[in-house]
Amino acid sequence: MERRTASSSAVADRDDPVGLVTEALIDANDQLLAMYDLAAMTSQSLDESVAVSEIIERAKRVVMTDELFFVVDGWAVGSDESYAADDGATFDVSNAAGRSGILVARRPSRPFGTPERKLLRAIANLCLGAVHAARLHAEGVSDAVMQRDHDTASAIAVMSLPQWRPAIDGVSCFARSEPARSAGGDLFAFGVRDQVVSFVVGDVAGKGLPAAMMMTTVISAATAAFQLHGSAGPAAVLESIDEWVYDRLSDASLFVTLVAGDYDVEQGRIRLVNAGHSPVLFVRGDEVTQVDADLPPIGVFPVSDVAIGLEVQAFDVHPGDRLVVASDGFTEQCNPAGVPFGDPALERAMTTSGSIDEIGEGLFHTIDAFAGRAEQSDDRTLFILGADPSHGGLS
Amino acid sequence: MDISTRQSDDPSVRQIALVGRFDAHEAPAFREHIDAAIADGATGLRVGLADVEFVDSTALAELIRAMKHCRERGGDVVLLTPSDPVRVILELTKLDAAFTIT
Repeated sequence: MERRTASSSAVADRDDPVGLVTEALIDANDQLLAMYDLAAMTSQSLDESVAVSEIIERAKRVVMTDELFFVVDGWAVGSDESYAADDGATFDVSNAAGRSGILVARRPSRPFGTPERKLLRAIANLCLGAVHAARLHAEGVSDAVMQRDHDTASAIAVMSLPQWRPAIDGVSCFARSEPARSAGGDLFAFGVRDQVVSFVVGDVAGKGLPAAMMMTTVISAATAAFQLHGSAGPAAVLESIDEWVYDRLSDASLFVTLVAGDYDVEQGRIRLVNAGHSPVLFVRGDEVTQVDADLPPIGVFPVSDVAIGLEVQAFDVHPGDRLVVASDGFTEQCNPAGVPFGDPALERAMTTSGSIDEIGEGLFHTIDAFAGRAEQSDDRTLFILGADPSHGGLS
Repeated sequence: MDISTRQSDDPSVRQIALVGRFDAHEAPAFREHIDAAIADGATGLRVGLADVEFVDSTALAELIRAMKHCRERGGDVVLLTPSDPVRVILELTKLDAAFTIT
């Protein structure tokens, strides 16, 4: 129903032209006041229904009609009324973010003039702006909640890496992982029984939280495997891990490269099975032996299908010898010029003198200096296990 | 990375040509091509890797996924003339024993 102001009604009954002009001037004055009210309005509400309703109520006074509503996604904002396509004058608006809406205005007594149609389009854009601001706020809140949950999950995943190191007289062990994001797929796990250190070092394909979640599963499987099958050797440990995780890896279209091994300190021997992992190095003095993979990564085929006739690799350990298992986050890291760190640089770093801890820490410092301002390209994990130079191993 | 798919002489096989760097950023697009080909009835995929300069673990995981999907349907993924960098990665990971490579 068309709206008339109280002041114009007082002269509405005059028939003479002066009366009509006066009435029109009063209406125009009222409209100007309503426009000022609308232009000066700043909604404090982040609820789109409330914000749009505030605009619409002021706009109704401007265009002098009670039949005014803003439609988004097929519904009139702030009401339960759905939008009927053929109703009234319509003003379609949209923004660069892809949001859109329609202002619908009805005034049966007289059609909207050109200036009023321009004004209605401006009102439509005001309404769209209010909807956009409200939805941006809601999306921001949702994103913040998701980020908080992501950070919590990442922290839990990182906590699954063992915080302790095997402590056997004459044995040194360095293990450290730095994910490229808040959490990653690199992993290591230990077990100690008598004078035997069992270990698993690996890398789940991919980065970030998905890889980290799978990493926690592999660590759990490895810890159980040490308990149940550690005495049977690395091949049994690897097969046990595979039985636990193969289906999960396959369903998630992931795989994990893995080295499973043990160091028998009394016998002075390291044994291992390498499922697709690189780089793996056995270091004696200046000599570096690359330890090749024995079979593909876990998750490609069931280990029981590909490990028939598998021979465990074995290395006699002399004082000072060390086994190095790293992730490709070192060798593939590029400097700002795009040059990768590479295998030769890693091997040189692993043959430097010093304790295993000094060598390990040194590599992390070296790779940080090499990368400079270049972004860390992948998770970095380094595991070094060896016989102290002055103690242990075969003489 | 540029990805192109075309029908081969065998209607159940698609030729997929890859050019550039195949890493985690390119994996979703590669998966889309694979899934589309399989949905279209392909059971075999011949993936050209001669012009791929780098693959990471995510890319390898996608190739393995494609291989499993094809083998479930009685077909296979064949890796065509991998570039030297790709061949090195396949050998280091022992995936050269898992795939059919020509």
